[in-house]
Amino acid sequence: MALNVTLRMFRYRPDQSARYDMFKVTVPDAANVLDAIEQAWAQHDRALMFRHACHHASCGTCAVRVNGREVLPCIVPVKKYLDGDKPLTIEPLKNFSLVGDLVVDVANFFQKQAASGLVITRPTENKLEGKPIAYDQGLDPASVETVPFNRFENCIECGICLSACPTMAASVKFFGPASLAALERELDKTTDPQRRARLLELADDEQGVWRCHSAWECTETCPQNVRPAEAIMALRRRIFAQRFGFGK
Amino acid sequence: MKLSLPENQKLRFLRWFDFRSWRVGMLAYILNRVTAIGLVVYLYLHLVVLSILTGGPTQWDPFVALARSPFFLALDVILLAGILIHGLNGVRVTLTGVGVGVGAQKTLFAALMLVGAVLLLAGAWKIFMG
Repeated sequence: MALNVTLRMFRYRPDQSARYDMFKVTVPDAANVLDAIEQAWAQHDRALMFRHACHHASCGTCAVRVNGREVLPCIVPVKKYLDGDKPLTIEPLKNFSLVGDLVVDVANFFQKQAASGLVITRPTENKLEGKPIAYDQGLDPASVETVPFNRFENCIECGICLSACPTMAASVKFFGPASLAALERELDKTTDPQRRARLLELADDEQGVWRCHSAWECTETCPQNVRPAEAIMALRRRIFAQRFGFGK
Repeated sequence: MKLSLPENQKLRFLRWFDFRSWRVGMLAYILNRVTAIGLVVYLYLHLVVLSILTGGPTQWDPFVALARSPFFLALDVILLAGILIHGLNGVRVTLTGVGVGVGAQKTLFAALMLVGAVLLLAGAWKIFMG
């Protein structure tokens, strides 16, 4: 069975006024929103700008807003949004500079993390039992069964939490939910007192955890269950504990 | 379809009012800001009203009579609603901020707003009937 869908697509170029274009597409019953966007590009307008890579919520590249809410369109079924003849409104993430159509400039997001020394790495994903794994090295199926994969770093840097955060809308200087969640994860990973002190100092910055005003939209929207709001609250408790000399 | 957007970085906060993205937390966030602005405006209005006292009983007594009119009493109820929403939402923010109810912020908000609604009804009764 096929689905006939109308997409109301945000269009923008730096030298043009923003507008919405309507595209009628036909997609398979099980199609996700990204499939519909790709159909619009393939059948109607090859100038449509959008980003994607993995198609399975691993890369975080394709994040957009569908009917006003941040999602990864690669894993959200079109069916979820079908409501009679109402179109699906597809828009870029908020709180980022627009590049064109659905593409936003995420450089600021990564620069913030780089500046704080908190570039997100996944050391557990390229090591098994503490030994590095070459990417061309096939894993012994027996070891895969007995050695569980750990993913301590669930954040895929999609930027959805920054788009959903109302504080980010008020201040571009705010570290943002993803970076603060990364701070909390780093604190969990290190026992080095100097590093811990530096991390807490960063969290306690004017643009750190105290700028969060508890809307919890980051946790609500995060497609990977990173729960940044909870991480921010945990950081606050750590700072309290450090300042008043109790707890952790 | 042409579209006018708040592309100006300083106006990005206008996106707060995109109701399509509102969930419980966002609603609480917006309510806190709207009530905060309302309470600040009220504070200044209150000071202006108090300045009538300098005019003595001839100016103050007519104002008191006006303040007892149903319209002004309704404004008192709105003021009480603002105080309750802002104060109780502040309790939620404070509790979750120190680690209490972190996993239940939506329930916490709903429960506190329920308490607020009961207090508002009682307050409105007192204002109009007391």
